[in-house]
Amino acid sequence: MALRTRRSAPGTTGTATGGRPGWSAMHSGPGRALTAVYGVFALAASARAGYQIIREFDEAPTAYTLSAVAAVVYIIATVCLVIGNRTTHRIAIASCLIELLGVLVVGVLSFTHPEVFRAPSVWSGFGIGYGFIPLVLPVVGLWWLARVDRRVRG
Amino acid sequence: MLTALTYLLFAYSAVLTVWALVLTIRNTAAGKGLLGATGGLLVLLIVQLVVSIALWGRADGTDPLLFFGYLFTALLLVPLAGFWAFAELSRWGPAVVAAAAVTVFVMIERMDQIWL
Repeated sequence: MALRTRRSAPGTTGTATGGRPGWSAMHSGPGRALTAVYGVFALAASARAGYQIIREFDEAPTAYTLSAVAAVVYIIATVCLVIGNRTTHRIAIASCLIELLGVLVVGVLSFTHPEVFRAPSVWSGFGIGYGFIPLVLPVVGLWWLARVDRRVRG
Repeated sequence: MLTALTYLLFAYSAVLTVWALVLTIRNTAAGKGLLGATGGLLVLLIVQLVVSIALWGRADGTDPLLFFGYLFTALLLVPLAGFWAFAELSRWGPAVVAAAAVTVFVMIERMDQIWL
């Protein structure tokens, strides 16, 4: 995390400025804010998945397994946004794509097959229970990662 | 839950959200005022924790794991956002506080629904 003393300019090369590689989303304010929102979602999705698995897994195993998968994907995305090297950049893109695919597929299925997804998860109803942020977040994430990509490659 | 405290938490987190958004739009980093107000939200949540434990006998049938799961997540989220905003020197510090405060607002509503 950024310290109060550090105010380095965003990295323009693939190598470190202020000890952090140019691929990291933590280089600029908006990237750090995005990372924070991802962190909030990682926390929220983990808490919900943990509760569902402890208390009521048998009610809707499919939905709750998906909740757990979503939580893991959000955690991976958060960690990769912070670390930011060539590899984690690619993993972050993959995570965002999985999130986008997940929220779209689960969103459609929760209308066509409500019996499977009758229990709420982060992704059901296109993320309606979470103010559609699960739908918006991967798009913003991918847009941001593409920007980082352009900046690093010059 | 205690109705007065619930409404106070709603109002406080709503005002904090708007304030943090205004700072973000005006391109201002988080100052002592906003950081103090974020600390105030943490204090209110701790009061909520104490009150919830004290009134637990009245909430017959409320799932403790669910209710306190929400409360502890909120108690974790607010200081994290505060430290993040303290470390962040740009307008995006208040943006993080706004995101956390609106999350707390929603979580209070969920807690109010969970509390029987």
